[in-house]
Amino acid sequence: MNAWLVCASLLLVAGLLPVVWGTARGPLGHRVVAQNCGTSVVCLVMLLLAQGYERPAYTDLALVLAVLGPVGTLVFARLLSGELDEEPRWGRAVTALTVAATAPVVIASCAATGPGRAAVKVVFIGVLLAAGNVIASRTLSGAHRNPTETRYD
Amino acid sequence: MTDTLLLISLCAVAATATAAVLVRDPARQALVLSVLGLALAVLFTVLQAPDVALSQLAVGSALTPLLILLSVRKVRRRGRREEDGR
Repeated sequence: MNAWLVCASLLLVAGLLPVVWGTARGPLGHRVVAQNCGTSVVCLVMLLLAQGYERPAYTDLALVLAVLGPVGTLVFARLLSGELDEEPRWGRAVTALTVAATAPVVIASCAATGPGRAAVKVVFIGVLLAAGNVIASRTLSGAHRNPTETRYD
Repeated sequence: MTDTLLLISLCAVAATATAAVLVRDPARQALVLSVLGLALAVLFTVLQAPDVALSQLAVGSALTPLLILLSVRKVRRRGRREEDGR
C-alpha cells in the first residue's frame, strides 16, 4: 500500500461519510448538494487510485465521472425543481471546498505522471470537474429562486 | 494493507445501502441510490474491475435517478388526474 492508496482511503473516509449523512437527512436542497459533492470526491478518489495501482487507464473512470456527475445533478435540479424551495445554506462553501480539494490532487498526479498526454488528460479531468461543480452549484442555487418557471407539470 | 481500502469501500457500500433502505420517499431515495452507485464503483475499482465500475458509473450516476424521478413524476401526475376526475 503506497502513499497514493493511503491518501485515497483517507479521502474516501473523510469525504463519503458526510456525503452519506447529508444525502440521507435534511431538506432536499442540502441532499442534492451532498450528492454533487459525493461525485467530486469519488472522482478524486479514482484519480488517486489510478496513481496508486499504477494503471493510467483507470483515469478513464474519473473522466466519465467528471462528465456524468454534473449531468446527474442537473437531472435532479430539473426534475425536483418544484420541491427545491430552500436555498442550500452550505452550497457555496461545499463547492469551494471540493474545487479547492481538486487542485492538489490534480497537481500531484500531474507531477507523478510527468509531462505528456497523460498529464494533459489529468488536467483536463480536473478542469472538467471544477467547471461541472460550479455549473451544478449555480443551477442549484438558481432552482429555488424561480421554481414555478422551470416546472412543467 | 491493501485490505484496508477494500474494507473501507465495503463499509461504504453497506452504509449507503442501509441509508437507501431507511429513506422512505422515492424521490429522496434516488439521491441516496446515486451515492450507492458511486460507492459500488469505488468497490469495483478496488477489486481491479474497472470495466464493471465504468458501466456502474454510467448507469448509476445519471440513468437510474432519471428513470426513478420520471416514474415518480408520472405516478404522481396520474394520481392527481384521477383525483380531479372524481
